[in-house]
Amino acid sequence: MKLQLGYIDINDIKFDKNPRIENGVLYVDPDALVASVLQDELIKDAHFEIAKPGESIRITPVKDVIQPRVKVEGPGGVFPGMVAKETTVGSGVTHVLRGMAVVTAGRIVGFQEGIIDMSGPGADYTPFSKLNNLVLVIEPQENFKQHEYEHAARMAGFKIACEIAELARELSPDETETFESPTIKESFENFPGLPRVGYVQMLQSQGLLHDTYVYGVDAKRIVPTIISPTETMDGAIVSGNCVSACDKNTTYHHQNNPVVAELFKEHGKTINFVGQIITNENVYLADKIRSSDWSAKLAEYLSLDGAIISQEGFGNPDTDLIMNCTKIEDKGIKTVIITDEYAGQDGKSQSLADADPKANACVTGGNANEVIHLPKMDKVIGTLDYVDTIAGGHQGSLQADGSIIAELQVITGATNEMGFNKLSAR
Amino acid sequence: MVKEIERAGFPVVHVCTVTPISLTVGANRIVPAVAIPHPLGNPGLERDEEVKLRRHIVETALAALQTEVDDQTIFEVK
Repeated sequence: MKLQLGYIDINDIKFDKNPRIENGVLYVDPDALVASVLQDELIKDAHFEIAKPGESIRITPVKDVIQPRVKVEGPGGVFPGMVAKETTVGSGVTHVLRGMAVVTAGRIVGFQEGIIDMSGPGADYTPFSKLNNLVLVIEPQENFKQHEYEHAARMAGFKIACEIAELARELSPDETETFESPTIKESFENFPGLPRVGYVQMLQSQGLLHDTYVYGVDAKRIVPTIISPTETMDGAIVSGNCVSACDKNTTYHHQNNPVVAELFKEHGKTINFVGQIITNENVYLADKIRSSDWSAKLAEYLSLDGAIISQEGFGNPDTDLIMNCTKIEDKGIKTVIITDEYAGQDGKSQSLADADPKANACVTGGNANEVIHLPKMDKVIGTLDYVDTIAGGHQGSLQADGSIIAELQVITGATNEMGFNKLSAR
Repeated sequence: MVKEIERAGFPVVHVCTVTPISLTVGANRIVPAVAIPHPLGNPGLERDEEVKLRRHIVETALAALQTEVDDQTIFEVK
């Protein structure tokens, strides 16, 4: 499966009645976009704000971060099963708005969502402070359930990202990059001397606002399967997450998976990147046993020599991680796990809820319990009403002077377990 | 908590969903629970069925409490 990504660089965003992309500037008409968002009857009101790198802006509660992309050649459309039809994606040509994101925020679920600071020490902890962000602030109708709000906010974000991406359909990209994932036959023929390496991606699927969707299917209802990494570049996997923001994958992470990027970079040089397995993290032990058995079975089926396993979230998924690791190791396949740590505020507690001697190669995204101090920002997009109650906050997190003392956990993408951020731990 | 209570000389049954973690932390008598968000019940069942299930889990735990074990043991809820 071969996909070309055409990057359209976006260096600035401005509001304008005439939506277009010109000389690296994205012009959007907020009124037209709001009208589009308000077609969903669950959404009472919405407005757009722009947040640029270096500005004294705090965005919270952040729900999702989405990169606008549009399919310009080949079957299907971006966000299959969500916005586009379920047609298989991952081949042809896709245009990508690089350097910007659509961020959904506001009083959506009401608790446990993340913070993005555009400047100051908080900005160093999130990759999204480096992007020009078009922030969609949503005000839901009253008397609907939280999961209904979540659905409405999620869909609004994808819809707006797709509408904006349409502006890039006819443009010439600033840069192109091509990715090709092999069939099993090709994978044996292409680089016979190199170690066969696969990627096992664990998807958050605990339910109760910890969810991920694959082609529109709730990931807790899948059995592990093989997906082409190019499909994920076209939005085949999207986030439905909004709790403990530091180590949940936003949709932007799935679209720009750094494990996939690095494996493609080494493909044909030091390794033979054979394919990607996706599995889930369910709350029933039976599901954990079945899914880890299947991910090991598929790793063996692909005749892997090595596998990289990335986790999403923490706590009971630590068991899914260890089960995947040990069962794949038991097939004679070497593994490296990517996780993060909840080692207490002093860093002295046990980092993971589960462990095994076979998990002897581990990459960590940092200690999510580390306490940070975020100075007051001049402007807040969204609301500070939930700072004390989001995961990582505590009673009194929001100080009288407008600054915040909380655990790193509160920051969107801070300890990402795909290794998307720069943080680690000693 | 399981280990501290046992250290004080009382036998303990750990009823929990993720039994591998229970094994890792060193519980000796383990009874598998239903699911992490609802360990001792199942909201998918009718009320009468759920009552039976709940009673059965507790009875399994009580039986486990009275059983001598030489090693870490999982008592399946039959």
